[in-house]
Amino acid sequence: MVSRAQISRRGFALGTVAALAATGPALAQAGGPVKVGVIFPLSGGAGPQGQHVTQAIQVMAALINAKGGVLGRQIEIVSRDDESTPAIGVSRANELISAGVSVIIEGWNSPVTLAMQPVINRAGILDITAISKADPILSGEGNPLAIRLNSSNSQDGAVIADYVAKVAKAKRIAFLTENDAYGNGAQASIEAELKKLGYAYEKVAEEKFPFTQADFRVALTSVRAANPEVTIAINANEGLGMPALIRQAKQSRLPGKLVAAVGTIAPSVISVAGDAADGLIGADIYFPNVEPFASNPANKEFVAKTQEMFKYEPDKFMALGAGALQAWAMAVNEVKSLDKEPVAKRIRGGSFKNTIFGEMDFEPNGQLKSRHYLFTVKGQKLVVDTKPN
Amino acid sequence: MPTPLRLLLIAGVAVAGLFLPALAGGSPAIYSAAVLIAIFAVMSYGLDTIVSDLGEVSLAHTVFFGIGAYVTALLSVRLDLGPIATLLGTIVAALIAAGVLGLITLRLREFVFSLVTYAVAVVAITVASSWSFIGGSDGLRGIPPFELPLIGFTAKDDAALWPVAYVLLLATLYLMHAFRRSRLGHAAIMVHLNPRLATMSGIAPQRTRLQIFLLSAPITAAAGWLYAYQRAFVSADVLETYFLILMLTAVVLVGRRRLLAPLIGVIIIQVQEKFFPFGGYVDKIILGSILILVLAYLPNGLAGLIAPLVAAGRRAVARKAAPSPSNTEA
Repeated sequence: MVSRAQISRRGFALGTVAALAATGPALAQAGGPVKVGVIFPLSGGAGPQGQHVTQAIQVMAALINAKGGVLGRQIEIVSRDDESTPAIGVSRANELISAGVSVIIEGWNSPVTLAMQPVINRAGILDITAISKADPILSGEGNPLAIRLNSSNSQDGAVIADYVAKVAKAKRIAFLTENDAYGNGAQASIEAELKKLGYAYEKVAEEKFPFTQADFRVALTSVRAANPEVTIAINANEGLGMPALIRQAKQSRLPGKLVAAVGTIAPSVISVAGDAADGLIGADIYFPNVEPFASNPANKEFVAKTQEMFKYEPDKFMALGAGALQAWAMAVNEVKSLDKEPVAKRIRGGSFKNTIFGEMDFEPNGQLKSRHYLFTVKGQKLVVDTKPN
Repeated sequence: MPTPLRLLLIAGVAVAGLFLPALAGGSPAIYSAAVLIAIFAVMSYGLDTIVSDLGEVSLAHTVFFGIGAYVTALLSVRLDLGPIATLLGTIVAALIAAGVLGLITLRLREFVFSLVTYAVAVVAITVASSWSFIGGSDGLRGIPPFELPLIGFTAKDDAALWPVAYVLLLATLYLMHAFRRSRLGHAAIMVHLNPRLATMSGIAPQRTRLQIFLLSAPITAAAGWLYAYQRAFVSADVLETYFLILMLTAVVLVGRRRLLAPLIGVIIIQVQEKFFPFGGYVDKIILGSILILVLAYLPNGLAGLIAPLVAAGRRAVARKAAPSPSNTEA
């Protein structure tokens, strides 16, 4: 180690060299803790959510450590902030690789995940994507052994298409869609799944709006005039746009059912939308206190520990982060190795029992098979149809 | 200092620089930081010609950086071309873009110039994130490693890519040095400081401005070229303000029209960000505050702060070394 005095004496260039040297690799010693790298946005717009996911992973680490850890060693979480910026994410991934982590759990924004994948892959470290949704994450170009927990756009599209065709049996469908990669992709996947079902329907209205829009009255007037049986709202702006859209749809007396795209109805959306949310239909993959999760011992333990450590109830994103660590720890203990390849091969195409999601099944391409549950909002509460879709 | 000795010294320092990452520990993080410092320094030198020599603030240089990255990604992924061909493609594309932008902004000065270049950057990021031909918001993936089969060279990691990044940096430094001593370099400064005098001296200010643009853009684009290989993935984020703030700060931090200033600026920013981070918010506040302080109080950058101290030190040494006036008179 070089002291500050030495740095100042030898000048800037040498000081830089010394500083770089001081932060060289610090590989975990055998018997010491197993380092698990975690990269999410901890600052900026997505900062609060990223912090929650990181905390959920810490909760899961505490639960696993209490039961003996992995391979008899304790898990140590090493967390970094990707600042929702791909270039920073890559730097943080390199830092964690040098710190000797055995796995990196990452991914709130798809571009950040896609940028980090080749770097983590080249370093021979296992990379598990918790949230980022873009389809190319599993294409194998950035990481041939990719693993992703959050549902894909096509899985989400299928569950909404299934509701439209088999439950609502609606023929007149309207779309209110956020005009960007996410919104257009989500609508395209719903339409593709309807086509796959061979379901004949008429698209009676289609209104597009920017992410920041909060006034939908003009768009809703056109949609109402088209008299749809189902209106599908695709709006990822959970803080402002989605609650406003729900309230204005109610005020404009929109006919038929209002259906929200998968994963866009957080409890906060319902509390902001108030009574107007009643009758809203949506779907998601995790609810902490609803069956079948409510009676699942692994989930109960996770919810209780989160309440104890951080004083709040976990949401879907937190469950996905914790689930990533849980599946990895189970795979490591089974294959008795921390190496990327055997662990990745155990997870991809494999299944795990007694997790917070109940049984977790992964497809051969690394995608977690999601079980979507339809819900209806009644009295500002989610009433979940416990039969998975 | 005699010229051959000076040349020998420069050559020695240049060769020694190649081994700096190895001396600093040689870990993957060190090599990764070194490669990125070299790439971002080259990126900043392109902007340096506009800011320091032409006296304008271009906010569109992320576009040239993005052009380098996107052209490289498209040519290597879709047409399977190697690094030499992608570099040529990058330079041609950057020259075309610079020619168009240079002609549009030929008569614009100061804040109008900056506003127009900013608008170009906004249009570019919108096009890049929504045009599916260049990957849209998912970007372009599967860029192959940097490979030169003729000499059997493949760079699968940053340690192997470092010599390439270092050579690119040295080439850029030489180009900047040569440019500032050239007629074009002198013409740029005259156009910057006294356009009327420049015109009276037979220099066409608008032609000079266009030439500077045509020099500047390929330099920044070449950085984008190597960045595409380093990251193996290109998306619209290469056009984001992160890179703009990085190059602007690097250019003004140490001092303008000093050969090594942008490089030292990038080293300071990157070493802090990579090895001594204080978290997203604090890092941004530090970077922003430094930019404000330098622009408001240190027009000559950190060098402006240090130069008087160095001069005072030299005077003190000279006073000690020189005999007292009474003795010399005697």
